[in-house]
Amino acid sequence: MALIEKIRNFIVEQTKKDYSIYLILLIPLIFLAIFLVWPLAISIGRAFVLKGQKLVLDNFTLANFERFFTSSMYQRSLRNSFVISFAVVFFTLLIGVPMGYFVARVEMPFKKLILVLGILPIITPAFVGAFSWVILLGRQGVLRYFINRVLSVFGLSLPPIYGLFGIIFTMSLTYLPFVFLLSYGAFRSSNPLLEESAMIMGATHNRILRTITIPLILPSLGAAAILVFIRSIGNFGIPAVLGGNQYVLPTLIHFRVHGFWDLNGASAIAIISVFIVIIALLIQKKIVSAREYETISTATSEYKLHKHPLIKTIAIIYCTLILLISLAPQITIIIMSFFEKWTGFLPTGFTLDNYKIIPQIASKTIKNSFFLAITASILTALIGTLAAYITERQRPRGGILIDFAIMTPFILPGIVVSVALLSAFSSDPINITGTFLIIIIAFIVRRTPYVFRSVVATLTQLDEALEESSTISGASWFYTFRRVTLPLILPGIISGTILTFATLLQELATTILLYSARTVTLPIQIYNTVAEGNFGIASSLSVLLMLTVFIMVYLMNLFFGDASSSSLKLG
Amino acid sequence: MVFAASFLEEDKKVTIWGIAFMLNNDIVYREVVKKFEGKKEQVVALKGVSFEIKQGELFCLLGPSGCGKTTLLRITAGLEKLTSGKILYRGKDITSIPPFRRNIGMVFQSFALYPHLSVFENVAYGLRVRKQPEEVIKRKVTAIMELVGLPDVLRRNPSPTALSGGQQQRIAIARALVYEPEILLLDEPLASLDAKLRRYMRAEIRRIQKATNITTVYVTHDQEEAMAIGDRLAIMNNGLVEQIGNSNQVYHQPTNVFVANFIGKMNFFPAELLEIQDNSYQVKLDYNQKILALNLPKEQIKTTELNKNHQIILGARPENMTIHLKDKESIFKGRVQIIQNLGKIVRYEISLLQEEKGKLIEVDTERDLPGVKEGEEVGLNFKGDKVIIFPGDITPEEGDRDGLD
Repeated sequence: MALIEKIRNFIVEQTKKDYSIYLILLIPLIFLAIFLVWPLAISIGRAFVLKGQKLVLDNFTLANFERFFTSSMYQRSLRNSFVISFAVVFFTLLIGVPMGYFVARVEMPFKKLILVLGILPIITPAFVGAFSWVILLGRQGVLRYFINRVLSVFGLSLPPIYGLFGIIFTMSLTYLPFVFLLSYGAFRSSNPLLEESAMIMGATHNRILRTITIPLILPSLGAAAILVFIRSIGNFGIPAVLGGNQYVLPTLIHFRVHGFWDLNGASAIAIISVFIVIIALLIQKKIVSAREYETISTATSEYKLHKHPLIKTIAIIYCTLILLISLAPQITIIIMSFFEKWTGFLPTGFTLDNYKIIPQIASKTIKNSFFLAITASILTALIGTLAAYITERQRPRGGILIDFAIMTPFILPGIVVSVALLSAFSSDPINITGTFLIIIIAFIVRRTPYVFRSVVATLTQLDEALEESSTISGASWFYTFRRVTLPLILPGIISGTILTFATLLQELATTILLYSARTVTLPIQIYNTVAEGNFGIASSLSVLLMLTVFIMVYLMNLFFGDASSSSLKLG
Repeated sequence: MVFAASFLEEDKKVTIWGIAFMLNNDIVYREVVKKFEGKKEQVVALKGVSFEIKQGELFCLLGPSGCGKTTLLRITAGLEKLTSGKILYRGKDITSIPPFRRNIGMVFQSFALYPHLSVFENVAYGLRVRKQPEEVIKRKVTAIMELVGLPDVLRRNPSPTALSGGQQQRIAIARALVYEPEILLLDEPLASLDAKLRRYMRAEIRRIQKATNITTVYVTHDQEEAMAIGDRLAIMNNGLVEQIGNSNQVYHQPTNVFVANFIGKMNFFPAELLEIQDNSYQVKLDYNQKILALNLPKEQIKTTELNKNHQIILGARPENMTIHLKDKESIFKGRVQIIQNLGKIVRYEISLLQEEKGKLIEVDTERDLPGVKEGEEVGLNFKGDKVIIFPGDITPEEGDRDGLD
């Protein structure tokens, strides 16, 4: 009797449970397993096997890695990647932190405008910035022409921008906004009472800055530094345009795949570059974690802004100068798009042909770009939201694994994701090379962390009692999700998705290995047009791209305001 | 139940009364244990809690933070699963029933009003879940808004974020009651209101609860609030129930030193029991070795182990002690440290003199005593026989009450 009773109870209990959630849990899990974990595993495996050989233990070799010891090209790429990434982190911090401090703490006119213009370089494709600097400081660059005139008086001359210096210069300007925005936010949000109390105890301005202000924003600086590092080491466009014979790891991977179709060799390079990122991450964690503090008091007051005329003047001059330099590419591109040539002092041959020709040469690529970006954004939103909801609300056992898996692509350079996907899906039984599908998959894998983070941020701010209250009043899980959770996290989802869309529209590093004649995107076409030396058309296409992205981001800020800023920091 | 019973024949009455008695206990907790798996160690939030809550009762769970009161409430709601034990509702085991099938109403500390829904839709939420027809929803929402004293808010029907704290509180209560749940749970509902509103709203909550006669569990850490509002209270500490009773019982007849010191304040004096005879007890105080003869009624003895030469603790409320000028005969000698005139009473903090180990004693009087100044030496006595005897020799630390009210 007792046993029958027990079984009956068990069945009754099981049927009472709400299973709908477990089915939905599976979607992001399966996607990640097939399109992230599996390709990465294959890619790692192939790195230890020579090109053309089967992936079995007997073929195990370290030959792919040996090139780092034997080939001077490999060694130089590795060294370049190192030097560039660290230099870019150094310069962005050096330039960006004072700018963040000035805008946050000094009384200045046009602060809103400075913030908007300061963000602009993020939404400009990095390689577009690179080729506009070629126009300005290249072999026949207009700025260089001028500078050299002045320098020639002293018997000096400025070399063209190609090479390491140019890469570091352009990359620093491109990634400056991250440091600027994050340090601006940190300077604004730290508690002024802490500084005021130090002042009352008799500390000088310098002492407060050294002992209170800087230590408190260090975690934010650490986050900015690692963000810039990861982006610099994964950037393909800038070294591809400006590198000349100076290779870095991403261009080396491209060379390996494009030149020899050697995915195994490319995998080995990819592993090395990921390895460097991981080490950098660990170092950053170690430095920052010892200095992370919890805020003790919740009482805050408004910051009193510096009003000293000297400080004001310095701040205004500094910010204007930096803005002028970092916006020079955008201005140059816009001017260039209306002319045929720009080799002397002024551009020559005013024309609208660069724009008129767009429908003829680029209608297919524009269509491709929009199709790929829209499809991938919607799917990314779906997977990212589900995964965020699961890890944040259901807290399943092993939830940290989902979190880890989703965030992995965040530290993977785009070109590495492409190599992994090609390694897994470029031969039978599944061969999707050259299709739209492989690009869409790569886009989703790469951008899910952004939506994920954006939604997790919204969810953690959402009082869990709202959902519990719905459950208590009798609603099933699905009803609660539909009526309470979803409406409240929608701003986070939408802003994350729009940002995803905007960044996918300008993606180059991922697509450069994956595109085929059928699936050329707008950034690829711009890149190829630059390579052909047709700067006029490249400029008009870039203006089109920049304008689209700018309008999207502007509209998002208009409608969602603060909600978008958290995801912008990641994007 | 009484009505139903009187219509029945005489011999069946007994059984019906029996059922009525069972039904009288609405919620029954049996050996409820809850363990949380922490990162490093296991935390036992509830260590086997058993008691009953009666139909229509306003029952308070009271205790310091971390005592397990909120965990017990969330277990009642079904938001937490219990590690072992059972919860019965009207004799039915509801331990494994998920929260959305329990038919419970709950008011959260943060109110948890939906910012994306209007006031009407917030209140109507539970009715919409239950797929009630539109006219029923309208009627019930209007009625409940009247009950909580906010009938006018529906006319403008704003978002709840536009309302004051007190109004939000009423809407949260309305939302929890509108679908006529069988149990109402309140989790520190007044914690986010300011002091004045808190006093007003606790009377309102009691009024609404009595008007609907719904069985209610009310969690709070504020002993004054619990005593003011609750029909009965359970005082919890460290995952266990220390005492259950009405306000009168827990204040005047605390069963142990924790309750005595948590509900109000009590002064404790360790002593040795020398002699017992009927109701008279001879004790020797640890502080100054003085021997006292006390005449105490049975209910003031809180220990079963009344043996000679046994260690005990004498407890006296601040209002049950008296202050004398130092030359008068007294049990303790001390020095006045601080005098706080609180209007209704005057509170004296007196430290016992060095030879009596310097312990701080609190004494409340109705008027300030002429001639007693801060820094002066005074004598202290017990007032009549209002002393309670507790077992053991451990008095609660002074710090135990820090930050509780």
